Amino acid sequence: MTDNIPRRRRARSWAAPSALLAASAVLTLAACGGPAAPSASSTSTSTGSTGSTSGVVNITWQTMWSGNTLTLLNQMVTEFNQTHPDIHVTESNIPSATGDAKLLSEIAAGDPPDVFTEWNPVLGEYAADGTIQSMSPYLTGTYAGLEKWEYPIALQGGEYKGTLYALPMSMNSWALYYNKSMLKAAGISSPPTTLAQLYADQAKEWKTPGGKLEQIGFDPDAGDNAGFEYYGSFFGAVNCFNSAGKYSFETCPGAATEANWLAQYDNYPLADVEAMQAAYGAVAGGDDDPFVAGKMGFDMDGPWEGAQNIPVTNPSMNSNFGVVAFPGTVGKPSTFGQGNYNIIPKGASNPQAAFTFAAWLAGYGNATFTAQIDPKGGWMPASPSIVQQPAYQAWLKANPWLNVFVDQMSSPASVAPSLTATESEFETAEATATEDIAEHSKTPQQALAYIDQQANSAAGG
Amino acid sequence: MQMTSRAAVPAFRSPGARRLWLGLLFVSPWIIGFCGFYLYPFFATLYYSFTSFTGIGNPTFTGLANFDALIHDDTFRTALFNTFYYTVIEVPFSTVAALGLAMLLNMNVRGQAFYRTLFYIPSIVPVVASSLIFVWIFQPSFGIVNALLADVHVSGPAWFFSITWSKPTFILLGLWGMGQPMVIYLAALQGVPKEMYEVAALEGAGPWQRLRYVTIPMISPIILFNVILSLVLSIQYFTQAQVIETPPGSPGNSTMFYVTYYYQQAFQYLHLGYASAMAFLLFILVLIVTVVLLKTSSRWVYYENEER
Repeated sequence: MTDNIPRRRRARSWAAPSALLAASAVLTLAACGGPAAPSASSTSTSTGSTGSTSGVVNITWQTMWSGNTLTLLNQMVTEFNQTHPDIHVTESNIPSATGDAKLLSEIAAGDPPDVFTEWNPVLGEYAADGTIQSMSPYLTGTYAGLEKWEYPIALQGGEYKGTLYALPMSMNSWALYYNKSMLKAAGISSPPTTLAQLYADQAKEWKTPGGKLEQIGFDPDAGDNAGFEYYGSFFGAVNCFNSAGKYSFETCPGAATEANWLAQYDNYPLADVEAMQAAYGAVAGGDDDPFVAGKMGFDMDGPWEGAQNIPVTNPSMNSNFGVVAFPGTVGKPSTFGQGNYNIIPKGASNPQAAFTFAAWLAGYGNATFTAQIDPKGGWMPASPSIVQQPAYQAWLKANPWLNVFVDQMSSPASVAPSLTATESEFETAEATATEDIAEHSKTPQQALAYIDQQANSAAGG
Repeated sequence: MQMTSRAAVPAFRSPGARRLWLGLLFVSPWIIGFCGFYLYPFFATLYYSFTSFTGIGNPTFTGLANFDALIHDDTFRTALFNTFYYTVIEVPFSTVAALGLAMLLNMNVRGQAFYRTLFYIPSIVPVVASSLIFVWIFQPSFGIVNALLADVHVSGPAWFFSITWSKPTFILLGLWGMGQPMVIYLAALQGVPKEMYEVAALEGAGPWQRLRYVTIPMISPIILFNVILSLVLSIQYFTQAQVIETPPGSPGNSTMFYVTYYYQQAFQYLHLGYASAMAFLLFILVLIVTVVLLKTSSRWVYYENEER
């Protein structure tokens, strides 16, 4: 029958499916290998994702933030683009749950962003795999003094085996928050300065009428940032490695002290505490927690708790909290140096411009503007020179409790964990071990042995 | 015209071949998508399962090392057990519940459309949103479930945060999404000829006998379909556990399901070779379960037009 169809009509009968095939092939290929489309939050007006147009180098910056922080990032990009006519930054955001996977896919596809913001503990794995570029070649000329400009713990957080791979944008610092009215109700006149006092004070604050948890005193295993690793600096239990460079918490005296201290709290209802934590964490975009809600006497947390979470989520707590250095066994105030760092992925198109931008984000040569931005994010700066800026000083004056966090940044007892190729395994192991101690399923010593065993043996390839 | 001239026409120009090519062109979007997003990833996964690979650079061939490591991995065995526990209880439980609810909603009662809508609505709520709501519903101290239990002098457990109760709570949570199978069962129930019930009633069959000998056999193909679907989804259980538990798998690895562990290995640890081995084993597992179910279905599934 087909032979009877006029030639021209037959040609048309093939034209539609051919076009359909071509279109679908193009769409499929575009979905597979095309450049990533900028998100709705993109601040760019650039015509290209990377490369140079009319002498302007276009670079891309990828982050995993959302909400209020995203607004800050947009302000930072606008400021950079206005002050650097030779470089134009396009910023894009993707959810944190898939951000790492997307970065790796982009690197594998040969189309990574020029700059990527990452939580620094994972950077050891990236550096070991050759996923990110060393920044050492750029530490010349204007940038020769960059390393000394940073806080020591901020610098260490970006180094892997002595080579610089990342520059900090916002640092963390940890201290002990206390609820003033709860302290008063418990008949306590001042916040604790020793671990023994902390235990005794918080014990007076628990409320469990009829087995129903209404109020928590303190639980070291409560909270997203809780657990063995986060208390390490207070006990001298960070960077516990043996001579072969393997994790060795089992033989680390500070680790044993810390594990035994954690076990002291195993008589409290962990499941109920975690349930309360999860319930509050499920609202306010994760900015709420039992301390913010006024249901927890003490909380080990960072400056964002008082600078962002409380004012936004529960302003009634604004004048009802105080902050002191977390008591420990090292004798001096200390903190655990981690933060959000900027990296240059392998295969980035314009690493030199990317480094310029990353250094600017750290605040190097940009202290005045950074000193205005850091307070808005509740961030600790990368360098003491940012703290000295009028805007930062004004923030500290308005919120004197923040001085605890800032002072710890330069404390000789503060320490940054060495980046390793198995940090993820270590983090999972230490979180599990902390829970196991609280649930009595492991003794402190067994928990430490478990951390070593898990962190030193990658399960597979 | 000589007969040989027609024989010279190439085979691909014959009417049948042209129809074939035209058909292939029309289904080509699907074929391209299937090859690009299913077939290639499948074989790539199989290949990577024999390698050590972090996603960057070249994978290193390691033979059966990943599979050997899986056999000796305690957490993998725990994940396998948790998934088995969840599947074995959740599938029958949700099947009976969805079928029972569909039967109730198939009764001719006032406000029937309202009830059908009411019971279907939960299944269109995003999984993450409903999971976060259930964290509050099952909150031990001030959640509504324990408050109701307290009214009858029962002390409720810690639900999602108790090693003993975490898996049963996820099974209960599974009921929230039964609107989907319920609607399918409802459609099937409405397709059962009324004459069959009339004949059964005339023969003296009571409600239980009508259910046993008319309803169930007539909708058994739909039950098979829903059970297979439910089994596959249960074996791949992930989102709710990942959203609710912090860290995922807690407390005490009691909610470390197969895909939770797979996700941890692939995207936290970047053990893509190891995760590929897990993914391939999961495929084999799902395949075996499905084949066994289909093979045994001839004993309990009734097809009207089937000749035996």
